[in-house]
Amino acid sequence: MYKNTMKSKITSSLFVLPYLVLFITFLFIPILYGAWMSFHEWDLLNPEHTFVGLENYMKIFDSSSYINNIFFEGLFNTFQFVIYSVPLLIIVGLGLALLITNLPRKLSGLFRTVYFIPYSVSVSVVAIIWLWLLDTNSGLINQYLMKLNLPIIPWLTDLPWAWISIVVATLWWTIGFNMVIFINALNEVSEDLYEASSLDGANRWQRFIHITLPSIKPTMVFVVITSTIASFNVYGQPYLMTRGGPGTETKVLLMNIVDEAFNQRQLGNAAAMSLMMALIMIVISVVQLKISDRKE
Amino acid sequence: MESKGFKTILVILAVIIALIFITPVFWMLSTSFKSDQEAFTAGIKWLPQVFTAENYQYIFANDGDTPVLKWMTNSLFVGIAGTLLVLFVDTLAAYGLARLDVPFKKTLTSIFIGSLTIPWVITFLPLYMEFRTFGLLDTYAVLILPYSANAFGVFLLYQYFRSFPKELEEAAYLDGANKWQVFLKVVLPSARPVIWTLAIFTFMTIYNDFLWPLVTTSSPEMRTITMGIAVMQQGSFVSSPAKLMALTSIATIPAVLLFIIGQRSFIKGVTQTGIK
Repeated sequence: MYKNTMKSKITSSLFVLPYLVLFITFLFIPILYGAWMSFHEWDLLNPEHTFVGLENYMKIFDSSSYINNIFFEGLFNTFQFVIYSVPLLIIVGLGLALLITNLPRKLSGLFRTVYFIPYSVSVSVVAIIWLWLLDTNSGLINQYLMKLNLPIIPWLTDLPWAWISIVVATLWWTIGFNMVIFINALNEVSEDLYEASSLDGANRWQRFIHITLPSIKPTMVFVVITSTIASFNVYGQPYLMTRGGPGTETKVLLMNIVDEAFNQRQLGNAAAMSLMMALIMIVISVVQLKISDRKE
Repeated sequence: MESKGFKTILVILAVIIALIFITPVFWMLSTSFKSDQEAFTAGIKWLPQVFTAENYQYIFANDGDTPVLKWMTNSLFVGIAGTLLVLFVDTLAAYGLARLDVPFKKTLTSIFIGSLTIPWVITFLPLYMEFRTFGLLDTYAVLILPYSANAFGVFLLYQYFRSFPKELEEAAYLDGANKWQVFLKVVLPSARPVIWTLAIFTFMTIYNDFLWPLVTTSSPEMRTITMGIAVMQQGSFVSSPAKLMALTSIATIPAVLLFIIGQRSFIKGVTQTGIK
């Protein structure tokens, strides 16, 4: 195809070079730089940074430090969001995909588009629309509750409603993506398998359990992992919808990291917290992969 | 096998769910044509009693506080520039790694693909410091460049190029084409659906991003529309729901239009690229 010469190798390297430069500048160096920051007392406004070794990490595990407090409180709140949202993102996403694939062909494209449209708007639009729907006094939903003589609900200022509101808005916003991925997977399940099992007298539910689910398992693993990662990174919804409230009940870890970095200006602490958060995310992804392998 | 009754129930269910998906958007549009006063008055009014475009006039006329067109232009510019940059570097790198005699090819490929498992939160603060050190906060550079180091596109295209039939390239080489010509004339055109998918993914990521523009820009004229909305919600429009809804309606139009135009290739691409 081409001669294996120096010149050929140089030409080929030029293909990879632009990406490599960006990769090094905006990913590789920041990773090292971030680790370096986490070993320093690093005030955003002070050009002098003192090396403190592992002290920033020790603070995370020292229960008398406020860093310990905001890290674990934020982590706990993030975990809550992950636990509420991920199963729904999977089940509702799969449910919608099953619905779409079973509709008459002419209608399925239309409904797929309708369910997918919210995915194209940004988080600030999502937050504002839902704030307006859920407003305690003038929100559409509470007005209907009043009309039906039901007690109004403090959707954004009380628990568990604040979490319910955040999760519902998130589902509305992002479910279309998981749905599309599941639709693709469902379309690839072999028709022969379904036919064979129908002949064997399997009902709809049995076909779903014994044929559909095993056939879409790789997709399931992909969706579980990407949904978990996305839910860990939640920021805009609680930031804009509940301000982390009531109190700090919906203040997620990422909000605390951003606060520590830009309001307290302690980038060393914030960098250590970021690395710990990333480490936890990696461990969870690996565990999810391992669990899915074992069930093979 | 499928009974007619079952299909009918499914269609009814689909319509109900569609209404749930559409209602929030409808309520936003309806509110945007009400006066602030009417919006606040309790009572469920699906349509404005007095239909007014004053909110739209206000956000477009009030250039100092809500430079909506500037925000939209910023978002579109940043989204398009970022997407073109990603497409340029990712297609080249993916092809080089999939097909050409790049030194340390295996190592580079596994480093790039391995980088997909690194949560972005690791690079968030150091990237901020990097741009701060070079005085590039509050510029287009900080809003565009960081998205380019994502290996997702390289990975997608690498998979695609690996499965591309070699014979077509070999024929072109025999005709005397060089690597660039083969890449541009033979390989790239075939990858169009995958490239479209990557383009839509990337554009939506950049256009809709919130946290990064929030911390890296500060002047009103550098805001993206996503951030502009958030700022207005907490600031001047705190008690102007109708104006806020006009602003979000404006912001939604280009994204939804682009999405409806692009969704066919997006959905096809998701299938072809084997995200599953």
